[in-house]
Amino acid sequence: MRPTTLLRLALAGTRTDTARVVLTALSALLATLAGLAAFTVWAIPTPAATAENQNRWSEQYHNALLVQPGLRGGTALALLMLMIPVLALAGQCARLGAPARDRRLAALRLAGATPGQVTRLVVLETGVAALLGTLVGLGVYLVGRDLLHRPDAQGQLALPTDVLPSTGALAGVVLGLPVVAALATALMLRTVTTSPLGVSRKAARERGPGPWAGLLIGFGVASFAVIRPVVYRFADDVELMAWLVPALFAVGALAAMIGVVIGTGWLSYHCGRLLRRHARGPAALLAAGRLMADPWAGSRTFAALLAALIFGGGAAAQRAYFGTKDQLEQEQSRFAGLDGGTDPFYLSTMNYVDAAIAVAILIATGGLIVALVEGIVARRRAYAALVATGVPRATLSRSVAWQALAPAVPAILLALTVGTLLGRGLAESEVSGGGGAATICEATVALCEDPATSAQYNRIVQIPEVQRAVPVPLEHLAWLGAGALAAVLVTIGVGLLFLRASTALDELRTT
Amino acid sequence: MTQLQARGVVRAYGPTPALRGVTLEVAEGEIVAVTGPSGCGKSTLLHCLAGILRPDAGEVTWRGHRIDTWSEAARSRLRRTEFGVLFQFGQLVAELTAAENVALPLLLAGTGRREARTAALTWLERFGVAEVADVRPGEMSGGQQQRCATARALVTEPRVLFADEPTGALDTLTGEQVLTQLVRLAREQRTAVVLVTHEPRIAAYADREIVLRDGLVDHTGLGLDVPLAGGAR
Amino acid sequence: MGGVSTPHVLLGLLAGGSRHGYELKRAHDERLPRARPLAFGQVYATLGRLERDGLVAAAGQDRAGGPDRTAYALTDQGRDTLDQWLSTVEAPMPYVASTLFTKVVVALLVADVDRARSYLIAQRAAHTARLRELTAVKADSGATLSDVVAADFAIAHLDADLRWLHATLGRVADWHREVHP
Repeated sequence: MRPTTLLRLALAGTRTDTARVVLTALSALLATLAGLAAFTVWAIPTPAATAENQNRWSEQYHNALLVQPGLRGGTALALLMLMIPVLALAGQCARLGAPARDRRLAALRLAGATPGQVTRLVVLETGVAALLGTLVGLGVYLVGRDLLHRPDAQGQLALPTDVLPSTGALAGVVLGLPVVAALATALMLRTVTTSPLGVSRKAARERGPGPWAGLLIGFGVASFAVIRPVVYRFADDVELMAWLVPALFAVGALAAMIGVVIGTGWLSYHCGRLLRRHARGPAALLAAGRLMADPWAGSRTFAALLAALIFGGGAAAQRAYFGTKDQLEQEQSRFAGLDGGTDPFYLSTMNYVDAAIAVAILIATGGLIVALVEGIVARRRAYAALVATGVPRATLSRSVAWQALAPAVPAILLALTVGTLLGRGLAESEVSGGGGAATICEATVALCEDPATSAQYNRIVQIPEVQRAVPVPLEHLAWLGAGALAAVLVTIGVGLLFLRASTALDELRTT
Repeated sequence: MTQLQARGVVRAYGPTPALRGVTLEVAEGEIVAVTGPSGCGKSTLLHCLAGILRPDAGEVTWRGHRIDTWSEAARSRLRRTEFGVLFQFGQLVAELTAAENVALPLLLAGTGRREARTAALTWLERFGVAEVADVRPGEMSGGQQQRCATARALVTEPRVLFADEPTGALDTLTGEQVLTQLVRLAREQRTAVVLVTHEPRIAAYADREIVLRDGLVDHTGLGLDVPLAGGAR
Repeated sequence: MGGVSTPHVLLGLLAGGSRHGYELKRAHDERLPRARPLAFGQVYATLGRLERDGLVAAAGQDRAGGPDRTAYALTDQGRDTLDQWLSTVEAPMPYVASTLFTKVVVALLVADVDRARSYLIAQRAAHTARLRELTAVKADSGATLSDVVAADFAIAHLDADLRWLHATLGRVADWHREVHP
């Protein structure tokens, strides 16, 4: 196949294909920005220790997250993690218009294209779209870096606009993402490329997805739980710590996330079974049939949202830990007769994390809409046929709502629970403070410091040792759950608009 | 007695006219075949008669009421209660079993689940496909699927059945078996049938045939009584 | 619809044992329900020819006597002839010859397009009516399989003729131009 032929065939799609290409490029752009931001934070050099700067802080920034070398790793990792919902979004975009594309590719296979040629065609489409996205992303990054480079009066910067990631890292992001996207597409298309008959009859799944999701979740929670003991045990072995802790963190988070996403398949299937057995009314029956026939649709649809919620749950648990600690410290200061004087640093850091999670949920909602609409559009002929036989659109709408909500509610609860478990595994479940003594002076500074009078005004106070359990942040979790549910409801609303168009009876004219 | 009537029905898709003024009547319990070459407007006429499409001009009346001016919801209700619709293929819900598919119209009408299932099983039995009651369409043969679809179209005992090339995707023998059963059961319960087909041997099952050509009733389709040569057959 | 080979049908009916002429006629009409009914005279004439050729032989007479009561049986030679006939494949449409076809050709030669067209339309109507009659026979709940198979045979041929009539109606103007350049 000549390159021109390849290009002509790659561009032969419909408007939906154009939309898919644009969305693929867009998500690649977002992922590039997140990745480049992470690598930039990583690239901030740690200055040598000096007399004034024994902590080796990078004093050129405002933000403690950037200033302290110990926090920068976490910040970079959090930014990298932001790529996960973005990549999930990309995955959902890749399914947009997939049935039509699959048919077209199967037709090409029937016309004599080899499996390799067809795969190359699709890989080209996705790869080029992603490359376009990453290149634009690089441009946005470089321009934005220049525009945002505004030192304030003290010469401090809000963002690390003074450093650039290494060329290797830049190339890795800009070229690596398209390669990953192309490979993922090739993988997803293996069923079509092998058969010129395209979508073949699938044998019904008699059993639902297995319960191995539970194992993955357990493994994820366990790896988070061992992080603290590992840190205590190997605190001296710097080299081991350097890879073991991030590895536990990444593997645990990934396992828990995959577990929750797979678990959603299991939940979908069993919700479908319950609905089929107990629900009355055709809307629930339609939804139940669909949930049982393709339990993975729920996993695909909610993947990004659930990933964001796991992080949200974890962050909520962390915030509860810091909050309890902060409160305890405040109380003890008061006990010692001092005012407030606590360090809001961790709590304010958590604000950044929460903002990131909000962004992630927003991105995930985008993915949700794409996935739901795609599902509706792909089944438009079936919907149109039902409407023709007199099924009211309201019934179809209710079935779409059932189909989205039935697995979404338990899945959201699962994700929040797992996230909370992860967060609580990472932090101590009890906060202890106090113990020891403090000297309190209840007079003016001059009197207190005067050796003659100090003994008279100073007294030593024993501070009792206090232990306090970190509460489960139910309210915070409830807000997260409500937010996620709102996202699902908005999505259903948008989906129903598309349902109207998809049941236009012109769809029947394709016999 | 005329039940369903179309008068001067016009319908276009964009600039392409599909029907250019068709008038016809369907009496109670009558089987009418609508035939003609591809693209003559057969399916469009069926969709207009069934209230699936609204004609651009002309009117469609059901027992004296103009239904083309009704709202989509009202026409939906009419289709659900008085009409049955049968297509060439692909009308069963892929995720539901045969019995659930057949029970669907009854469930929509508010029948209880157990009762709907019993009725569905009776109809599957009548079409000789009781053995696939708990099987999904993807695992059935084309003939079994079409029998289930026919059972679904008749389960509400509609007054009119609209069938658009109901045997188009089947082999000759299977197609004739399905159609024979359909016609027999329709006659038993006095259901009128509007049968769209391009095959003369399928149209021959009808009491009457209407030939369309380029969106109009072709008056040369039938007619001209000429004596038969030899007088014998 | 091709020449029905009455001698071979009679040989086939005798293969099961000897029969009288009257029994042969009854069996013929029962097995070939939609065929032209066989006249008695034809049965006896054919039997006479078969006997002359040595394919059947008189196998006895009833007490009442007379030619009506003669039973006939298959001879070995008759059995061979039947066997040979059964194992011979019929030539599929060796000549395109049908009154239907010929009539349209002649109509085009002697008259104009309209005459040919009106003949085609009338013929199509007649075919359609007959097709409907036979379909009714077939769809009747009391129909035996013999009825259905016989009706099917005729329906398939009528259907083929109808397709040809449809197609020819679409071509008749061009055809006329070819015949009368």
